[in-house]
Amino acid sequence: MESRVQVKQPPLNAPGISDDLSETRKMNSLNGRLTDKFEDEVPFSPEITYHQPGSTLAARGSHSGESPAVHRETLGGIIYRSIRLVVFSNRLNLLMPFGPLAILVQKLTGHHGWVFSLSLLGIMPLAERLGYATEQLAFYTGDTVGGLLNATFGNATELIISLYALKSGLLRVVQLSLLGSILSNMLLVLGCAFLSGGIVFNKKEQVFNKAAATVNSGLLLMAVMGLLFPAVLHYTRTEVHFGKSELALSRFSSCVMLVAYAAYLFFQLKSQSRLYIAVNEEEGEAGDNSNDDESPEISKWESIIWLSVMTAWISILSEYLVGAIEGASNAWNIPVTFISVILLPLVGNAAEHASAIMFAMKDKLDISLGVAIGSSTQISMFVIPFCVVMGWIMRQPLDLNFQLFETAALFLTVIVVAFMLQEGTANYFKGLMLVLCYLIVAASFYVHVDSNSEDQHVT
Amino acid sequence: MQYNNSRWKRGSKKDESTALPRLPRCGLHRHRHRFDFAGAGSPYCYLQPEIGMAMGSPDFDEEEEIPFREETSFISSSSPRKGLPHHGSQNQVHHNHNHSHNSHAYSFETTAAAVLSPDLPKSSVFRLLRITRIRSLYVVLIKAKINLLLPFGPLAIALHYLTGKHGWVFFFSLLGITPLAERLGYVTEQLAFYTGPTVGGLLNATFGNATEMIISIFALKNDMIRVVQQSLLGSILSNMLLVLGCAFFTGGIVHYKKVQVFNKAAAVVNSGLLLMAVMGILFPAVLHFTHSEVHLGKSVLSLSRFSSCVMLIAYASYLFFQLKSQPNLYSSVDEEGVSGENSDEEEELELTQTEAIVWLAILTAWVSLLSGYLVDAIEGASESLNMSMAFISVILLPIVGNAAEHASAIMFAMKDKLDITIGVAVGSSTQISMFVIPFCVVVGWCMGKEMDLNFQLFETATLFITVLVVAFMMQEGTSNYFKGLMLILCYLIVAASFFVHVDPKSGDD
Repeated sequence: MESRVQVKQPPLNAPGISDDLSETRKMNSLNGRLTDKFEDEVPFSPEITYHQPGSTLAARGSHSGESPAVHRETLGGIIYRSIRLVVFSNRLNLLMPFGPLAILVQKLTGHHGWVFSLSLLGIMPLAERLGYATEQLAFYTGDTVGGLLNATFGNATELIISLYALKSGLLRVVQLSLLGSILSNMLLVLGCAFLSGGIVFNKKEQVFNKAAATVNSGLLLMAVMGLLFPAVLHYTRTEVHFGKSELALSRFSSCVMLVAYAAYLFFQLKSQSRLYIAVNEEEGEAGDNSNDDESPEISKWESIIWLSVMTAWISILSEYLVGAIEGASNAWNIPVTFISVILLPLVGNAAEHASAIMFAMKDKLDISLGVAIGSSTQISMFVIPFCVVMGWIMRQPLDLNFQLFETAALFLTVIVVAFMLQEGTANYFKGLMLVLCYLIVAASFYVHVDSNSEDQHVT
Repeated sequence: MQYNNSRWKRGSKKDESTALPRLPRCGLHRHRHRFDFAGAGSPYCYLQPEIGMAMGSPDFDEEEEIPFREETSFISSSSPRKGLPHHGSQNQVHHNHNHSHNSHAYSFETTAAAVLSPDLPKSSVFRLLRITRIRSLYVVLIKAKINLLLPFGPLAIALHYLTGKHGWVFFFSLLGITPLAERLGYVTEQLAFYTGPTVGGLLNATFGNATEMIISIFALKNDMIRVVQQSLLGSILSNMLLVLGCAFFTGGIVHYKKVQVFNKAAAVVNSGLLLMAVMGILFPAVLHFTHSEVHLGKSVLSLSRFSSCVMLIAYASYLFFQLKSQPNLYSSVDEEGVSGENSDEEEELELTQTEAIVWLAILTAWVSLLSGYLVDAIEGASESLNMSMAFISVILLPIVGNAAEHASAIMFAMKDKLDITIGVAVGSSTQISMFVIPFCVVVGWCMGKEMDLNFQLFETATLFITVLVVAFMMQEGTSNYFKGLMLILCYLIVAASFFVHVDPKSGDD
């Protein structure tokens, strides 16, 4: 069973082994990896014994198509191998059937509650596979484009869900789901990572690179600050043209934030080699044997094709998901805010969650932090402004005016976590505190009703 | 002779490293003596590499010729730094300073006398007597490139009486005050040479933000309380976001290969002070907006006045603390800029004490005059330019007071002296929040105006968020162009929010 490191954030270091499919290295890398949560025997593919340490080259060769002769033998063989690699090799993919099931349920019964939960479950493995395909493609494209790829597709799921919600006029859902994604990254993912890492490494305190964490949180703080002004403007009731000013300001701020994000990517790529060599940001670079040894497992064209397949599949399911939100909220008697803030981000974040926890358990907190904070920064600097701009294009009045409660919650969270990270150490108690904070935030959203959710609906 | 000797003495004083008439470095003033608009091509920008600077200074285009000799009286102040003999060695010193302008002044006045006396005392008296006033006029008014903007002042006044077009009057007076603010700082520095560190520090502390203070007092007199609050707030915001951002950005681009570092401890202390000051300012606003005061409206005013007095006391002790710990500051600070320190160390005495005082008075009067017109034109400009008053007060007015700091901060960053940059930017913000704002409240109290510390909710939130974010960001101790860019973009967003911001109607209070 392949264990794979899912690092959604740009692994801007493209290893120079992109085309090296040497068998031994692969085997060693596979051996060297710690188990992640999904490393288990998958009932679907009994042939995957070739990934076990004891497997022979011959067995491997016959399946992986190492020898050119086998490789070019049949298109069907290629497809079969590819499918097995991508689709069947991950335990999470057990959830895959839920996707079609959701569509089925939607067509047959139209019971929104079920459709919602089934599609939720169905998208999760797709998101993870999407990340995997992106990584694989990044091997081939080199640093720059690889980084860009990861940056874009890293949050593809959230992006796609948000775009569908935008199209349906569910503006509050967009705002809340993106906000919830940031909150979940900073509190839940980080908390679980610290907690599990602290439990595993009970004897010592885990340390992480203070400088990198501070830089990252500083950036996040500035990004959040950029997002907050329209809300503050609205809530102090001090705008020139009520309602229109904050929309104009939101759009302007979004363009500014997109410029900042472009500069951020540029800066990251430039300083990659120079400054952050010892620092694991989102890349998961230093000391990460498994990453360094990671060689592409599928060919370039395969990864591109899988990328598009996954994206298409996610899009389809997202449509059903978004369509079922309101019905689910009615059926289960849960406010839409709770669904948007707490449940929707689960989809996009499941993969990051797993990888952050896994890295923490390997005592590589820098990578966990990079994943969590990097993802939050990306959402606040890229996804949210991008959605506002898309809303502008689609003529939806999406603005940056998260309501007062959400704005306050976001700001508080970012400040608290930023300060907490300044110390440079982690233990299970800190993790527990973060998780409990997230619980409280979730509970507040459970009993939180949007005052004006009605007038945000523009269909 | 007497006079000259005293100046000599003054100059010789500088030989001793301990008894420096230099002004305290960080936080007490705006480092005008450090950064005299080298960016503007001013010839006495002793911050530029000395060698060749005199020759290459663009200002010399305006003058007839290349100065050929240094006046030892003026370079004596600097020569000890370089280990050069006190008098004489003009030729050497000549290369090292931009004092050529001095000799130029002399040459254009008293060619014979100026030509060459290596021994100062003989010629200096002569010089003094003959060319003091004109020279000082020249030194103060003509040398700096920024003085190109000087004519805008009278032009603004003329426009005011002729056309009454507020938009134009506003802009011209804005442009006209900028060079005056800079000159005011320069004269203050010069005066501080004579008064010693203590009073010099106080002088700089007071006159460093003189422009903001004068504008605010005029606005107070016109009952434009919101303008006062917003312009001071805008000054803090501009210092922390725009000035710092530009400095980090340009420094990061110039020093592309490495990460610039600054003294984390000093930055943290400074931002801590600023946070405390901001907290002191915020409480009346918080009290008001939670609608939890005893006597609606009156409580906030009394609380503001009380807080202001407390903050003025805090500011006084801050000055005291700075002056007391000065020797320690100096030791660390001198090491920091040792390479370029040569240029910094020499602050030439270019004006006599009385001259400096006279110029101080003249410039203050001039600034006041123009401020009167500026403030009068604000409302009209807001209508004619179709901008909210908030935008004009928060974004445009602080440009005047901050232009000088802006240039200096950027220049220091490009020289990789980020500590000074941060001292300038954050120090100025601290001064405004701890001194100028409470001072205006007290002055309003005296004038019977109801100026309080209740910046409205949006401004309060903005101030708090900004200070928090910047304080956090400075904790790391490094800077790069991206951070600078982020700060600038944040300022852009803040400016945009003020563009669409109007004050809630007074019925809201």
